[in-house]
Amino acid sequence: MSPQFLLRRLVGMVPLLLGISLVLFMIIHLAPGGPLDAYVDNPSVTPEALAQIKVAYGLDQPLPVQYLKWIKSMAQGVWGYSIRSGRPVTQEIAERLPATLLLGGTALVLSMALALPIGVVTAALRRSAWDHALTFLSFAGISIPVFWLALMMQLLFAISLGWLPVAGYETIGAAGLLDRLAHLAMPAVVLSLATVAAWSRFLRASMVDALGQDYIRTAYAKGHSPAGVLIKHALRNALLPVVTVVSMEMASIISGAVITETVFAWPGIGRLFVESMDGRDYPVLMGLMMMGSAALVVSNLAADVVYALIDPRIRYD
Amino acid sequence: MPAIDALLLTLAAAAIAPQLETAPPVQAAPLRAAPLQAAPMRAAPIHGGTLTVGLPYDIDTLNVYSTAELGDVEAAVVEGLLAPDEHAKYIPVLATEVPTLENGGIQLTQGGSAMRVVYHLRPGVKWHDGADFTAADVKFTWETVRDPRFLAESKDGSQDVTSIDTPDDLTVVVNYRAISPAFASTLFTFGILPRHLLEGHDLNHDVYNQKPVGTGPFKVSEFRRGQYVVLDRNPFYWRRDEQGASLPYLDRVIFKIIASSNTLGALIRAGDVLLAPRIPYMLAKQLQGARNIELVSGPSLGWVHLDFGLKSGSKLRDPVLRRAIAEAINRAALVKAAGGYPQAIRSPIVPLLESLYDSSPDASAPAYDPDAANQALDAAGYRRGPDGYRSKDGAPLQFWITTRSGEIDGEIGEQIIMAELKAIGIRISADNKSGIAYREARYRGDFDLLYSRWVTASDPVYSVFYGSHGPLNGQGYASAELDAALARMETSIEPAPRRAAARDVQRILAQDLPAVPLINMVSIAAKTRRLKNFTTNPTNMTDFIGIARWYLEPSQAGTP
Repeated sequence: MSPQFLLRRLVGMVPLLLGISLVLFMIIHLAPGGPLDAYVDNPSVTPEALAQIKVAYGLDQPLPVQYLKWIKSMAQGVWGYSIRSGRPVTQEIAERLPATLLLGGTALVLSMALALPIGVVTAALRRSAWDHALTFLSFAGISIPVFWLALMMQLLFAISLGWLPVAGYETIGAAGLLDRLAHLAMPAVVLSLATVAAWSRFLRASMVDALGQDYIRTAYAKGHSPAGVLIKHALRNALLPVVTVVSMEMASIISGAVITETVFAWPGIGRLFVESMDGRDYPVLMGLMMMGSAALVVSNLAADVVYALIDPRIRYD
Repeated sequence: MPAIDALLLTLAAAAIAPQLETAPPVQAAPLRAAPLQAAPMRAAPIHGGTLTVGLPYDIDTLNVYSTAELGDVEAAVVEGLLAPDEHAKYIPVLATEVPTLENGGIQLTQGGSAMRVVYHLRPGVKWHDGADFTAADVKFTWETVRDPRFLAESKDGSQDVTSIDTPDDLTVVVNYRAISPAFASTLFTFGILPRHLLEGHDLNHDVYNQKPVGTGPFKVSEFRRGQYVVLDRNPFYWRRDEQGASLPYLDRVIFKIIASSNTLGALIRAGDVLLAPRIPYMLAKQLQGARNIELVSGPSLGWVHLDFGLKSGSKLRDPVLRRAIAEAINRAALVKAAGGYPQAIRSPIVPLLESLYDSSPDASAPAYDPDAANQALDAAGYRRGPDGYRSKDGAPLQFWITTRSGEIDGEIGEQIIMAELKAIGIRISADNKSGIAYREARYRGDFDLLYSRWVTASDPVYSVFYGSHGPLNGQGYASAELDAALARMETSIEPAPRRAAARDVQRILAQDLPAVPLINMVSIAAKTRRLKNFTTNPTNMTDFIGIARWYLEPSQAGTP
């Protein structure tokens, strides 16, 4: 892979993100209502005062002007102020990022650590009791609603057994590594469950496909060990489509997980997004969505790079 | 209570001092000692302890004027001149008495068309940073709140004041442009801002919104967005208990933000949350009988109603139809679905407002009578088809019903109403919305039937809801007769004419039926049995207004 290729792709992101931002900006403004609705119906806010508020937020300008102004200030690193809280958007987001990345990252690692062996085992031992049992569990994992599973886990591990805290990010005034892990355990498991199930099914299908190829038979014929064939020949080829799925998931980490965050009182990006959406807090929404879009674009590039690493036949020039 | 509710509360303008939650304990709850009554004290209150509170909404700012939520945390930190007590009656806080006509605190001016309110301030009160609290702070609060550059949710009352005089440090004279009986429900009651810290600052972005400085029993130590707020005892608090001991009793209060009511229930059971105010009826039902947990219920000035969309072209402009719908609704079913907590009502003026409420039949909305409803619809030509649904001249009798999505109590009530209207042959489909989209529909009248609620102040103002130009009247209802009655009610400060006008208001609303009053809400708090002296507050000033007197008994082994 040449540095020119990477550079070209990176430069290509700029017009892409600009296009995305324009679409997002339009969609946000298409939704009914606006951030000043709270004031419009308030009899003690006079029309003159309302006009002044509009000027203060730049909402009196025509939409194209608002958009250009937003682009200009974003380019300078100024993301504006939240209409809801009056604080800088960057601060609002930065406060939520660590919790979001910790939960999403842990769930991602956990998902991969479980999905890979499950996928390989079910494919290698297909139609065995193991395959049926793990397949059943995978379908259960995909089908169980997150909020229900979370609730059951809270009842079992927090209330009945008392092993883990019910919810929250840390114990106030007593936060440490162990405390953090105890708070992280249930949300991370809940969040990764559906992914483990989906990815392991995905990998199983891809593995079954690879195991039927001629080169597998050849590898066996050459006297490779079954494990070696499975890992070196089949898995490596079966991983390509999985990389695509995983890279998508990686990008979505940064957008948070609304339900898991809500049930476990986790201070992540997902809840911030929903609250900002309900209040039509345009500056925060734009900031969050642009961050999510950028993450997606970058992770797509990362996936392309990983393809080349896994499969030497893939070349980018 | 979810964010938007609080938002509506603050919005519900001129006089909404919502959320009535007072006295009588619900089930299992033994009689609580109301702090103001000389109830026999079993044990002396104990100083110390940390109270953990679960709040169901994410806090936007801790500035009482700009928050769109109810100010639970703020009520423990910031004080106003007056405050509503657990019976929704005003008591003095930073003022030494409640201004009235009798004590000369309210003086009529300009030949009785305007008024002046005189507050005498409590001497020796200090801000959390040690500075003196004076009349200049009160005047500064008004100037700040009315300033158009300050982007605030609650500016109620600031436009009614023409000027404020401060003849000395402890006297405030507020000049009103008209008679304003609801003056106590507005700005000086919400809270006073510290002039010495905020003068010349841009309050929209000031650090005050994260760490407000007040005169209250607790001060803000830490505010973690999306997680918690920690309050610590103000050692210099001015108020003392009857024995002369310093207040507050509690050392620390931690407000945890728990958006999921299921999680809140689990935290209460686990003893990680010791108090949860305003819990949904469904959660109260689940917590009944739970070990060491006490449910405290109190009346509320809030009521649930079914509003008709009456914009031009709406079928619901037909009074026969509205009356039939009202007769089809069995309030007992709504009460039962809400765990038996609320009370059925037939007028928007709730019985708790004793000085205004009228129980006579001609001032009440129709009672449950599905037979009468069916007969009236038959007679009006709405014929039932083979599927049981009615239509007239080929047009089916069908409506949308809207409520705020995600609010469990409201969604359950909506289901019941849908079933009852189907029973009289009206086809109903749900069209629920959340956040701004819900507000849009509500205030612009984009609905057929709206299942929603209002909460008033203890000095209620109804013109905002039902006046022809009421800012919260999205229904498109207009009645000159009602406007006149409302004007009489809301500008008289004498009890007798006010009561007579209120009766007219109730009668006209029962006759015109722009909305069907259904149930009077109650406010239910779940708390550990160890928390004593707790009372609910029926107004929008929240339960925490009485927090200085709450105390925790030490925990015994195994009790949360």
